[in-house]
Amino acid sequence: MYGYSGRILHIDLTERKTWSEDKPEEWYKLYIGGVSMAARLLWENIEVGCDPLSPGNPICIAGGIFAGTPVPVGGKHGMASKSPLTGFIGDSLSGSWFSLALKRARWDGVVIHGQSDSWVNVFIDDDRVQFRDATKLLGLNTYETEEAIRDELGDDQVRSATIGPAGENLVLFANVTNDGRQAGRTGHGAVWGSKKLKALSIRGTHGVTVADPETLMKLSYDITQAAQGPHTAKYRIYGTATSVLKMDRMGLLPTRNFREGTFEHADLVSGEYMHEHNHVKTIACAQCPIACEQMCSVKDGPYAGAMTGIDYECLFANGPNCGISDIRTVIKLVDLCDRGGMDAMTNGVTVSWAMESFERGVFTKEDFKCKKYPEGFEPYFGNGEAAVTLTEMIRDREGIGDLLSKGTRLASRITDEERGTESYKWAMNIKGLENAGYDARALKTFALGLAVGTRGGCHNRSAAYDPDITGETDRFTVDETRGRVAGRSEEYAAVYDTLPLCKFIRRCFTGKADRAGAWPAIAKLINATTGWDFGYDEVDLIGVRAHTIKKAFNIREGWTRADDHLPYRWQHDPMTKGASAGYVVTDEELEYMKDLYYEYKGWTKEGLIPKSKLIELGMDDVAEEIGV
Amino acid sequence: MKVTVEFLGVAGLAAGTREVTLELAEGTTFRQIVRRLSERYPDLVGRVIAEDRETMFGSNILNRNGKTVIRDELLDTCPQDGDKLFIMAILAGG
Repeated sequence: MYGYSGRILHIDLTERKTWSEDKPEEWYKLYIGGVSMAARLLWENIEVGCDPLSPGNPICIAGGIFAGTPVPVGGKHGMASKSPLTGFIGDSLSGSWFSLALKRARWDGVVIHGQSDSWVNVFIDDDRVQFRDATKLLGLNTYETEEAIRDELGDDQVRSATIGPAGENLVLFANVTNDGRQAGRTGHGAVWGSKKLKALSIRGTHGVTVADPETLMKLSYDITQAAQGPHTAKYRIYGTATSVLKMDRMGLLPTRNFREGTFEHADLVSGEYMHEHNHVKTIACAQCPIACEQMCSVKDGPYAGAMTGIDYECLFANGPNCGISDIRTVIKLVDLCDRGGMDAMTNGVTVSWAMESFERGVFTKEDFKCKKYPEGFEPYFGNGEAAVTLTEMIRDREGIGDLLSKGTRLASRITDEERGTESYKWAMNIKGLENAGYDARALKTFALGLAVGTRGGCHNRSAAYDPDITGETDRFTVDETRGRVAGRSEEYAAVYDTLPLCKFIRRCFTGKADRAGAWPAIAKLINATTGWDFGYDEVDLIGVRAHTIKKAFNIREGWTRADDHLPYRWQHDPMTKGASAGYVVTDEELEYMKDLYYEYKGWTKEGLIPKSKLIELGMDDVAEEIGV
Repeated sequence: MKVTVEFLGVAGLAAGTREVTLELAEGTTFRQIVRRLSERYPDLVGRVIAEDRETMFGSNILNRNGKTVIRDELLDTCPQDGDKLFIMAILAGG
């Protein structure tokens, strides 16, 4: 088989044993790689209904079809486990050198079962697997851990995915870091921590064999040229942080826990401002000619020395959404999350929930006692030092940080039960995953995409913000097209997440971010890599299948139509300022759009998947389990 | 009639300015505004404004008052006095 090794590596941490599983080529044609293959491995290997932090929840990693080849932005991998934040599927993407090492070790995927009785660093050295004592790595941050493993093994070609202190402490939104990138959302780091898996290291020494190297080189060269042109300049120059001002001008920039969509200090936390005052250098993932990550540092003030890559999502969450207008504090907060191994998006949204809860009197200064401030502190919006302290407390699960380490859904539930409050009304999550940086009260198609999303409040799995923001749809209203638009957009995104290819390449095939130009080009890349005979339709089905296996997983774990919801605030509290003031998504609108969406998908009114639909997709075994 | 145009992100770099106020005759269309911007800021062409100098390039959009996207089919409509126009590239992720 070209492009794949045909092998999945299984690692049992309980028994400390490993085995190799061969998969047939037809299986690869269905699930390809990335999030789709990782989700399929999870489907096959999880103990249904298990506690996400129990040994029955495996960590599933799937490589990319293009990792280690010349195809630009193909150096990525997917990760899946049952999310401790949502109880549904947790699927994430990361990229760079770790993805290439996995491919070069000749494993298409890795499934980690069980639970170790002591902290371990699993080292995959091509075909050999070592279980190495990780006790001395405990307490090290993500970057230090990676470095310490390289030093210990004496080989700087060893690539590691690691957890930081947050993962060790079972913060439910802890993430997994490799090469400065993160499998960031849904709490994989807590799952790793529950297994006492501090790191997974890989040394791969093999080449990657493709079916038609000459064609693949030529195709890759052309796309690489386009990827360095004007369509990607926005990423290269400012990175995604440039979205701050755009979102602000459209009244969609979440501000003070999504109370408003415009921030009076937006210019001070914009990508443009940061580029001028804090930018250090621009870096790229392995195999990427675009280079979008803007490394920024703090040069003065109490947080001098903090440095990390700043993207829009972590910026909005820890900046405007916490009312913080000092970009140096934002950089410090994101740096704390990255080193501690926590999802900076969920962190910011959770801190902002705590800030609003404090301002509303749910919490008092007394609730914020900690070692640093024995008398407590007052985390009002805009109090940067309070946000920094809260982030440290979350990482260490100190004081109220223990409550906040559970994310907004659980934290509000516990708080409301204990105090008789209604803080769920400003807990900004969907299915337990904190929302991304788009206020969907006035992005109605995207609101549907978020509500029905399999992993919760995620901007990466639904691309339905695009038709709303570009005016393809009227973002302030709903109509009969929205089910189809939202469904098509998530399937479109799922193609990229499955190959995986970074979505920033999407305009580099023809100039348009659509299927018509990209799918034929992607089919050629797949065919030159594997020797298959894919065309437009086969590429399109990649996304449909990827989304379906994730949905099937959720159904098997107990999903019902009521789980496709929006935060209370987006349905009841209109914003009062800016270009999107005055809107909410009513129950009628949401339920109407859900009906349209399920109908487009060919599902039942309750959102369940007919057996015939699954069989049509070649997912017969899935049909047997959850088809109706 | 006056309208203000704010150039966000790379559009600001290409234009060399963040904002400009245009004095327009009544009945001036958005298409004519884009053409005027192309003439005044030629570095926008091929990066932000398409080579035809009338439509937007790639993921760039022309947005009126943060609410309405002036898509190609609206280019022959007219702004109102005091409108604020934004030129921005749409991107997401990170």
